[in-house]
Amino acid sequence: MSAAARAQIFDSIRRGLVRAVLPDAAGSRPTPEGRSSPPSASADALEAFTRALTALTGRVHRAAAVDMVPDLVAAIAHEHGARGFLAWDESHLGVPGLFAALASRGLERVDYDLPFDAASREAHALALAGVGVGLTGADAAIADAGAIVLAHGPGRGRLASLLPPAHIAVLSARQIWPTMPDLLAARPGLLDAGSNLVAIAGPSRTADIEMTLTHGVHGPKYLHVIVVP
Amino acid sequence: MTEASARFHRSVAEALADPHLRQALDRTTGRLAGGLAKAFATIPDAGALRDTARRIRAHTIAHLDQHLDQFERAATARGCHVHWAPTAADATRLVVDIARARGVSLAVKSKSMVTEEIELNAALGAAGVRVVESDLGEFVVQLADDRPSHIIAPIVHMSRDDVARLFEDKLGARPDEVADIPAITAFARRTLRQEFLQAGMGISGVNLAVADTGSLCLVTNEGNGRLTTTLPRVHVAVMGLERIVPTAADLGVVLQLLARSATGQALSVYTNIITGPRRPATSDGPGEPDGPDELHIVVVDNGRSRLLGGELAEILYCVRCGACLNICPVYHHIGGHAYGGVYPGPVGSVVSPGLMGLDEWSELPHASSLCGACRDVCPVRIDLPRLLLNLRAQTVAARMGPAWLRIAMPLYAAIATRPVLYRWLGSLAARLSRMMGHDGWLDRLPGPLSAWTTERDFPVPAPRSFVQEHHAHAPRAGGCE
Repeated sequence: MSAAARAQIFDSIRRGLVRAVLPDAAGSRPTPEGRSSPPSASADALEAFTRALTALTGRVHRAAAVDMVPDLVAAIAHEHGARGFLAWDESHLGVPGLFAALASRGLERVDYDLPFDAASREAHALALAGVGVGLTGADAAIADAGAIVLAHGPGRGRLASLLPPAHIAVLSARQIWPTMPDLLAARPGLLDAGSNLVAIAGPSRTADIEMTLTHGVHGPKYLHVIVVP
Repeated sequence: MTEASARFHRSVAEALADPHLRQALDRTTGRLAGGLAKAFATIPDAGALRDTARRIRAHTIAHLDQHLDQFERAATARGCHVHWAPTAADATRLVVDIARARGVSLAVKSKSMVTEEIELNAALGAAGVRVVESDLGEFVVQLADDRPSHIIAPIVHMSRDDVARLFEDKLGARPDEVADIPAITAFARRTLRQEFLQAGMGISGVNLAVADTGSLCLVTNEGNGRLTTTLPRVHVAVMGLERIVPTAADLGVVLQLLARSATGQALSVYTNIITGPRRPATSDGPGEPDGPDELHIVVVDNGRSRLLGGELAEILYCVRCGACLNICPVYHHIGGHAYGGVYPGPVGSVVSPGLMGLDEWSELPHASSLCGACRDVCPVRIDLPRLLLNLRAQTVAARMGPAWLRIAMPLYAAIATRPVLYRWLGSLAARLSRMMGHDGWLDRLPGPLSAWTTERDFPVPAPRSFVQEHHAHAPRAGGCE
């Protein structure tokens, strides 16, 4: 049935296109403009990003050097009462020796690999649901939206930025882009780096009930971004 | 009047008589429209960006077959299963078959207009699959057995007390668990988290698909879209066949406008871009630890390709932001339910008759003052007034208008094209109406004209017509008849 259905739809589209009234469709394909090279680590970009994310109730922590990250992560984790954490593999976080440093501060990584079998997958996911924080890197940030951009993929699980009530991301100050169109025009390959690219602009929120803003409805209620030089 | 017209008039009258709904609409539409203006003020060259977005959408639709073909190849190469559904029934059958084949008894769903359009929940329910809406607003709508009233704010017609009572009745919440909005939200999180962890299938819509990578973009604020597409082992994405852009760069342009137009946000909290199912381990390294093992994409036609072949094709540029609802004076007064279909507001008044035919929806193109605010606010500058006028012309050509209008308009044309007759009848009407007026106002007109004066007064005509005044003051020279 599938091939026939496909042919039916394509026939109908092609017949339609002959008669379609499509204003402004003529001419060559528009080429969206963006920067062709990564932006420099400007103080302005970091300032704008910080302002935008703070307005969304996200928190930005500046680390003067990479070796300050373990203390920052531990302090944030303890603030949220977490003892374990979900995380990307250490090699994707840009902080050598991070997991050992966190272990010595009482924080153990909870490793996982969701199985396909329905029953064991459910049990596995249930076990992860109680973990207090998630720790990830960030591939880029968007200044005007206060968003961090994460390419999830091998060794870079999605649940670390999604399941726990608090999410901590480590971002390089050199990867702050002015806008989403700038980033996607310059680095389209991000879409295919893994199965999931996500831009996160602040903690999970809803305003469905009486237009009243409430955080943490499904995703993390708290978002911390540690910016390293 | 047809049954469908009568139903429309009845629901409009009900909406106008509902003070609670009016209050909610005042609050919502005003705030959303204000947020939009503020959000656009922060981007330089917003006008040029909208032009670019319009041309991207226009060019994409003009080469839709090529982009869909490319999309299918790219998605398949990354391990997706792409299915084609000419009708709503085909689409629901495809999804039901996928669920059955994998023994799915519980599915979680992220808000999606197209799944409402094809009535997927009912079909899955009939096949024994329980479907849980996971967007907070849609979850409430589902519990209440209601319909969403707004594309992006489905329960603007309900108060916090309505929701609290519903959670107590249907979910057994204790009063202290639903005491205020944060408590209600936390209760919903706990309830829905269990469903996410147990569901065998996640069902989502698609905001935009990217042709050259086979990617799907889903935009949510709550994170339910990410959970839906990450935790269950099977993800089924249902997309209208027009929701496509050629490249990542094109997606970037539309994203820069989409959330600003919808909610006044620069970006939604989660802009989720999915490229294939979870990637397995290879000899080079480990696989992905999470994500669905299967990703099915159901591409739905259901009238879209027919709509493409005509004057209304421009509506396919739509990116479903909802801005035209919030700005529309008619929507502001009657809300979403009165429109009757899945798609309310100006866009719905074109999409519903466009996809499903004018027979059932002939009133909708008339539910507009043609003020043009929708066209001005549209991020891809769709000329909605033109499309509404075109549909009105179709209703007249198909003799679907009210009988009195069919008689009255030719009669008016016959009079208005005969100046002597027109002037004589005009002065007669003026004299008659002056006789019926009180203190310079007409407050009751006879017959069908009473429809006007039940709600408003009308000033009596001046003693002398414009033409008479003109003749009295202007030199009788040029042909100003």
